[in-house]
Amino acid sequence: MKAKDNPFAVERIEAIRYRLFNTTFDRLLARLHELNYRAAITGPEGSGKTTLLEDLQEALEHKGIRTHLVFVNDASHFDSPACRRLLAELTRDRILLLDGADLIRRSDWSLLKRHTITHTYGLVITSHRRGLLPTLIECSTSPALLKDIVAELLPQGRTIPTEFLDRLYERHHGNLRTCLRELYDLYTQEP
Amino acid sequence: MDQLSIVLNEDKAAFAPRETIRGTVRWSLDVGVRHLELSLFWYTAGKGTRDMGVVETVRFDEPGAIGWKDFSFALPDGPYSFSGKLISLLWAIELTCSPGSETVRREITLSPTGREILLGTHR
Repeated sequence: MKAKDNPFAVERIEAIRYRLFNTTFDRLLARLHELNYRAAITGPEGSGKTTLLEDLQEALEHKGIRTHLVFVNDASHFDSPACRRLLAELTRDRILLLDGADLIRRSDWSLLKRHTITHTYGLVITSHRRGLLPTLIECSTSPALLKDIVAELLPQGRTIPTEFLDRLYERHHGNLRTCLRELYDLYTQEP
Repeated sequence: MDQLSIVLNEDKAAFAPRETIRGTVRWSLDVGVRHLELSLFWYTAGKGTRDMGVVETVRFDEPGAIGWKDFSFALPDGPYSFSGKLISLLWAIELTCSPGSETVRREITLSPTGREILLGTHR
């Protein structure tokens, strides 16, 4: 199968937005307001933290709250000079949305956490671990969520056996990103 | 309802490097928009990080609610349209309006043979 036809191609996966469970965006925004716009989206790898942060950005901007979204990942290597450059860019009218806060060095995180109290409208981070900031929401996955997403990505009339998806979910310890990558590889074998 | 369309001359969708694409864009919008933008670009699709390159963009300011414009783009030497199992490179022309979220995209092929290059096949 050609990459562009693969139902699990990155662009198709990225088009799927975060599915809130037992809450709504309005409630999430109200909770964020209560937390004075300083909060963390936590959860394990592949649980949708980045997707939710992007969706939160859209919801905040829609309400007229300006944001500044920064991704910290292995590729971007957020070192101390990069941290200081970011601090210099911050403005009081924007919320800093920081994806991957737990990848920042401890000393840089302390500086950033302190600096953003007075130099930004707020700070919302994603993190694998709890405790960096009050938790806004804890992301999680389930086999049912994987099945739901897979059903949305597959062309009409195509299915993947439930048992296969259950085993896939278990093998990847609930990491939906790596589950979907494996499904991509599986589909490359299709004619 | 907002409507945007891109019509390519002779309905041609495959082009050789350096060839010129000619066509017409049409729009019928509920409310006036500030501008329309027509872009020629390539992008990747598949497993890895996405990439894209915008070759040329033309802007139609204050286009009015209904109208049309002819356009032409000179294609570069490459990259060629190709597909493998891990990555595809696609070319497209896209018309967007601002403000608004209405978009229309027309995919084209850029290749010396007129067909996308298939990686990993022996012909």
